[in-house]
Amino acid sequence: MVPKELRCLQTHEWAKREEDSGIITVGLTDYAIEQLGDIVFLELPAVGDKVTKESEFCTIESVKAASDLYAPVSGEIVEINESLTENLELFKADPYGQAWIVKIKAEDIAEFESLMNAEDYEKQLKG
Amino acid sequence: MGEKMGQLQTTVFLERHLKLGAKMVEFAGWNMPLHYKPGIIQEHLAARRRAGLFDVSHMGRLVFRGSGVLAFLQHTLTNNAAALEVGESQYTIIPNSNGGAIDDAYLYRFFEDEYLLVVNAANRQKDWEHFLRSLEKFGQVEMQDRTQELAMLSLQGPLSKGILTRIVDSAQLPEPIRNSLSTTSIEGVEVLIGRTGYTGEPLCFELFIRGKEAVMIWDELIEQGAQPVGLGARDTLRLEAGLPLYGHELGVDAEGKEIPVFSSRFSQYAVSFSPLKGDFVGREALWRQFEAFKRIKKGDYSLIADLPRLIMSVAVAGKGVARAGDKVFADDSHAGYVTSGTMVPYGIWQGKALAGQLSEEKGMRSICLALLDSELRDEDEAEVEIRGKKIQAVIVPYHLRSEAPPWAHPILLDELYKEQIPLRRDQAVKKKVGFLLKKAIENTIWRQKECINLIPSEQTASSMTRMLCIMDPAGRYAEHKQVKAFYDLDVFYYQGTDFIAEVEELLEGELRDYLGCTEVETRLVSGQMANAAVFSAMVDYFNIADRKIEPRRIRRVLNHHIIKGGHLSAQPMGTLRDFVARDPKTERPAVVNFPVLAENPYKIDIAACREIIAEYKPELIILGKSVTLHREPVAQIRHFVDEISLDCIIMYDMAHVLGLVGPCFQEPFKEGADIVTGSTHKTFFGTQRGIIASDYQRDNLRWPLWEAVRRRAFPGSVSNHHPGTLLGLLMAAYEMNCFKDQYQKRVLSNAKALAQALKESGLNVAGDPNVGYTETHQVILNVGYGKGPEVARRLEDNNIIINYQAGPEEEGFTASGCLRMGVAEMTRFGMEEKDFQELAQLIRDVVVGAKNVKEEVAGFRARFTDMKYCFSGKEFDAVMEKLHGII
Repeated sequence: MVPKELRCLQTHEWAKREEDSGIITVGLTDYAIEQLGDIVFLELPAVGDKVTKESEFCTIESVKAASDLYAPVSGEIVEINESLTENLELFKADPYGQAWIVKIKAEDIAEFESLMNAEDYEKQLKG
Repeated sequence: MGEKMGQLQTTVFLERHLKLGAKMVEFAGWNMPLHYKPGIIQEHLAARRRAGLFDVSHMGRLVFRGSGVLAFLQHTLTNNAAALEVGESQYTIIPNSNGGAIDDAYLYRFFEDEYLLVVNAANRQKDWEHFLRSLEKFGQVEMQDRTQELAMLSLQGPLSKGILTRIVDSAQLPEPIRNSLSTTSIEGVEVLIGRTGYTGEPLCFELFIRGKEAVMIWDELIEQGAQPVGLGARDTLRLEAGLPLYGHELGVDAEGKEIPVFSSRFSQYAVSFSPLKGDFVGREALWRQFEAFKRIKKGDYSLIADLPRLIMSVAVAGKGVARAGDKVFADDSHAGYVTSGTMVPYGIWQGKALAGQLSEEKGMRSICLALLDSELRDEDEAEVEIRGKKIQAVIVPYHLRSEAPPWAHPILLDELYKEQIPLRRDQAVKKKVGFLLKKAIENTIWRQKECINLIPSEQTASSMTRMLCIMDPAGRYAEHKQVKAFYDLDVFYYQGTDFIAEVEELLEGELRDYLGCTEVETRLVSGQMANAAVFSAMVDYFNIADRKIEPRRIRRVLNHHIIKGGHLSAQPMGTLRDFVARDPKTERPAVVNFPVLAENPYKIDIAACREIIAEYKPELIILGKSVTLHREPVAQIRHFVDEISLDCIIMYDMAHVLGLVGPCFQEPFKEGADIVTGSTHKTFFGTQRGIIASDYQRDNLRWPLWEAVRRRAFPGSVSNHHPGTLLGLLMAAYEMNCFKDQYQKRVLSNAKALAQALKESGLNVAGDPNVGYTETHQVILNVGYGKGPEVARRLEDNNIIINYQAGPEEEGFTASGCLRMGVAEMTRFGMEEKDFQELAQLIRDVVVGAKNVKEEVAGFRARFTDMKYCFSGKEFDAVMEKLHGII
């Protein structure tokens, strides 16, 4: 279940706006994590990298395949969750908390506002 | 769910998979479990740590029958189907005519007239059609697709054998050798079992069950602790084991080119060029690949065009996951492609070797298989291009090893090429010398004064014997040969040899008396060397009439398999290797093993033995074992051989029991042995040497064989025959001849007393209770599958020295479940029946009670440091002192 306050991409990334700042935290929904199966490798981008909305910014690997993750907003990577790469079990254990992947400083916060909300994401999963 | 699923085939276990919440996927047209709730990683670890249960019913099962079936299989498959006896299976390949593979497969012979071929699910239709076309050229062959009616399960992992043993009705698992088969039943349902698998686990079983009853078998196995494993982990397990998967390591490569069969390192076991096969599909192309393969193995790349790339194991050293299709570079040039790759888990081992323990912790590692330029070798560095980035990698010989059952052992890159910490060799030489002398004294005191030494192949020689060993003839040469020009007189090559010449003659005399025979050869320095000299003499003897042609080797040997207690030197992988011919049918050394009784695997099944002798007509029969509880049936074997007038040498390798020759044990020549060999340092009192004996006389037709024995001893086996220990051996022979009656009786009685006492203390003693468990100096204890090394270590920590031993049902020495003990040495130090009874309690305290009794054992040993059955007493004190003085 995706926490209500989060926004989501159709490609199963979740986004959270940190208070009233322009920083967006990004992670993977529990649905995506379940689909991936055992996650074995995560290659994080570097702090300072520029990302574009709906372009890939990161790769996550399960036993069977590699998957790209897509940025919910355009901007600059300001923080990466390095410890996550050594503790991949966190994806299953705490997908919306400790398993955050990156924090992006959004160029245009309107991009965040236009994202689908958690409820709509869950609905279109079922559909 | 949905319409798509309706087109897929399902196995009989579908409901079980669904009930377990498996993630189902389509695989080769089948609806199969990719993984269950635990996930791929946990399932992989479950197979390596405990036991994994795999539904592999999607694989194709084709049955071939008919009077022409063998010719058909020889033509359409690459391996030698004629080598399969009933109860055996083999890896094989369905070749095309270009040297590529249509599929790889396993051929099982559960029944006399029926061959079962298991093929990859993805290729079943293609294989079927290929066989149909091929069948047109053959008559009298019937092919059936049994995929739907015969279900197939795979049970793999260290606990798998225990699980199966508990549920099979008649405890008839296949022999503990890979590829062996058996027919058994579980809850009354017939189950065909093969010791085969696709995981690299040494304990591996594949089960074939009729569809209707198969689910019940699944349920039983789960109840016993097997964990369901899906196709995801099946793939990671086989990748770790380096096993090829059609479509990746066989078939077509990343560039669309056909992968030569011999690119896969397992193909050498699947392809046979035996003349029994005659011509077969792809033979010519495969032969060329094989020639190239053989040369490449030796670093000769002259035929590399026929085999430009080989499948190699590659460990990714940098960060990244290699996937099929990724390019691989070596020395900055493109060298090939990854064929299979992913991240796999491994259980973390703590401690080393046999003392290692598998912890609950895990690691992950990035590994792959790759098709790479044939010149690349182990330890070469490479780069894998992963998602556009070049990541460092290393070519390794393997990712996993299966030869130390019951576990498969992951081989980690960091450990494989770790630099060994060098031994302390940098100290000043005086310090080294002092240290060595001190250590030698400590070790001698420990073994001789504080330990109970029960290793059956060991003995301590008397002080007199030991002193004589280091007297002057040690360090000298005394080569001699019988010269016909001098009426077979022994002529010595060197001066200063009169003393040792006399000693040798006296020694032969003492041993002739002891053994009751006419001839003894004493120049061998070990039992194994004695055996080698006999084998060599036989080859020499067979070729006596024609010395010009390539000598022919021994055509067929009947021996004890090492698993059943046979000695190393009688095995084709031991001393026998160079002297036994290859059987053209099996393409293996022409050795057949003594059958053993089902109720007592330590005893020869004499009735079955008679049939084997009649069928195989061995030229050499080797009796004698290193795990021995019974007399050898020499007289009966002699009878069978004479019955059919077989020209055969009966050899009794008495290694362990040479010191027991006599009326209370065995008199080999009276019973009909042709040749006796022996170690002179086990139950015999002597120094560490070997002897060969026979009762032939000059007028015997086989006399030239004895002359060959003499020649193959010297100059065949030795130049220097260690005259020092030869001198000691003469003293030991005097001791044996003088004290044998009392000693032998005491040894045999002590062994029975020890066995009985151990049994009464609650331990599991092997052997026949009706004869007191043992007829020799040995006692065998069962301590539980795989527990041997640990218990042996614990006993050593308590100063009781025995050895761990693989029992007749164990796959290898690392899985040893027995302890082997012998009473001869301690009998020599004066222990009697009641003392062994006391010892049995101490052994029990350690084995069962896990107590620390080291001090008690040292105290116990202190009561037995005076050697018996030797010459002692005041009359010898003066001369012994003189001997000490002149060293």
